[in-house]
Amino acid sequence: MSSHREAPEIAKDPVADSTDVYAFVSPDRPDTVTLIANYVPLQLPSGGPNFYEFGDDVLYEIHVDNNGDGQAEISYQFRFSTQVGDPDTFLYNTGPIESIGSANWNRKQFYDVTVVTGSGSSVLGSGLACPPCNIGPLSTPGSFYPGIAAAAAHSLGGGISVFAGQRAEAFYVDLGSIFDLGDLRPFENLHATFGLPGLSAAAGVNATNHLNVHSIAIQVPISAVTISGHPTIGVWTTASRQKARVYDSDAGEYANAGPFVQVSRLGNPLVNEVLIPLGQKDLWNSLPPADDKRFAGYVTAPGLAGLLPVLYPGVFPNLAALVKSGKARSDLEAILLTGIPAGLIKGFTNLTGTVLADMLRLNTSIPPASKPSIYGLLGGDPAGFPNGRRVADDVVAIELRAIAGVTYPLIDSSYKPDAAAGEVTDGLTPASVAASPLGQFPYLGLPYSGYDNPS
Amino acid sequence: MPSHDPQREPAGRISRRSVLQGAAAAGAAGLAVTALGAAVSPAAAAATGPSAPSARSGDATSAPAGPIVVHVRNARTGDIEVYAGTAQTRLRDKDLAARIARASRFESGR
Repeated sequence: MSSHREAPEIAKDPVADSTDVYAFVSPDRPDTVTLIANYVPLQLPSGGPNFYEFGDDVLYEIHVDNNGDGQAEISYQFRFSTQVGDPDTFLYNTGPIESIGSANWNRKQFYDVTVVTGSGSSVLGSGLACPPCNIGPLSTPGSFYPGIAAAAAHSLGGGISVFAGQRAEAFYVDLGSIFDLGDLRPFENLHATFGLPGLSAAAGVNATNHLNVHSIAIQVPISAVTISGHPTIGVWTTASRQKARVYDSDAGEYANAGPFVQVSRLGNPLVNEVLIPLGQKDLWNSLPPADDKRFAGYVTAPGLAGLLPVLYPGVFPNLAALVKSGKARSDLEAILLTGIPAGLIKGFTNLTGTVLADMLRLNTSIPPASKPSIYGLLGGDPAGFPNGRRVADDVVAIELRAIAGVTYPLIDSSYKPDAAAGEVTDGLTPASVAASPLGQFPYLGLPYSGYDNPS
Repeated sequence: MPSHDPQREPAGRISRRSVLQGAAAAGAAGLAVTALGAAVSPAAAAATGPSAPSARSGDATSAPAGPIVVHVRNARTGDIEVYAGTAQTRLRDKDLAARIARASRFESGR
């Protein structure tokens, strides 16, 4: 839901479909930031024999805006290449994969990392190995896999580390209920149900539990991505494909030509998924954040804010009145498009300027929290979303609550949010994710194995 | 309702991209049209746009290793796009467009 299958066209192209972006000051290396972009959503771990991988024909990028113009001053580019050891077998591996260079592993993937700035480009690393997908106890034995995955975290010098490969999905969301007409299981006894039989409140179900993603993670010194006097950066990811694609039936593969054009974009979770209307989602995906002014109306008058009082009659009367008033949701504009100016929340700002741009904004001068709140800034923890985004942050609850009105008093102190607004949740927490995150780079948990998670 | 020009990229993006792709793309564009002209239309009309090649008498064997994809956007006006390598070249060549259109009718009628 963060951005999994969020637009009609990109939903058909999962290899290029960004799912989540994380940006946070590294808790174990607070002089660095970690930027993570996930792709290839909702991977069933048993999905062989051709297991999931990055697209060799996709240009993946993680961008950083460090001067507030909504454009990238720094871009980290990732290009992949696949090597097949033996094309005459159908097997991904012909024996246990006991190391990252194992001869038993038949289909390996490697990548190059390039940093592009206004003054030039520099290859940071080339021929970097991805780990294999986690298949099962015979192919990727548990005694070997953690070491193989660790070997795929590469140090590039200059304090930079990178990882690219399969990891456990860390984003938790009850897709099954939310996309059933906005049902939130803990509150479904209050749902309008459209005249259908009523539902009873129930616990949330994490639809992404036991699923994997492909993750690109880079950890860089804060000094490498910020400029003097501007500790806040804007982060987003894109995927691009070459403009022309022709299926070569003689070769049995696609041939690509022409310039790269952007087909996927992700900054803040849920913006394209929930706020941008269906007919413009793929257009939104093709544009840079600097062009987001044209979409600002969907942020300041979100359709979901009008929908909540309809779906849950009598639960959100103050929100209904606010929607009816037609007042712009400048609180959401600040959270998602400009950053929060100083003076609204004591001691906090992540404002990047006046340019309306959907970017994940991280004030790098705020140290990691000793006791993080999964509700981030709403939970009194300025080191969490929407100040960047950490792996465990409950972005679904935070954004639902913001849209429901809990942040509107930031710009209108006379507004009293509905009591329910601060309680909205799909009923999930980080405990809803079976794979524990790591305490160090690349932070996302080890991927689930296909043998242990067949369906 | 937003308007969208898929050809447009922000100036900043173009300048950054050009660092990586500029030289190679410009070379590839020239080769693409040269190869196409040599193979299909030796008398092709003048190409338009900033990446138009300065010379047309090329050697097709010097074409980029990858495919060259031709998109006839409008056969009547001769509006053609050529993709090669990571470059895109736009031509206005009624004669070439007509030849391709005739060839496509021939192929489809076999």
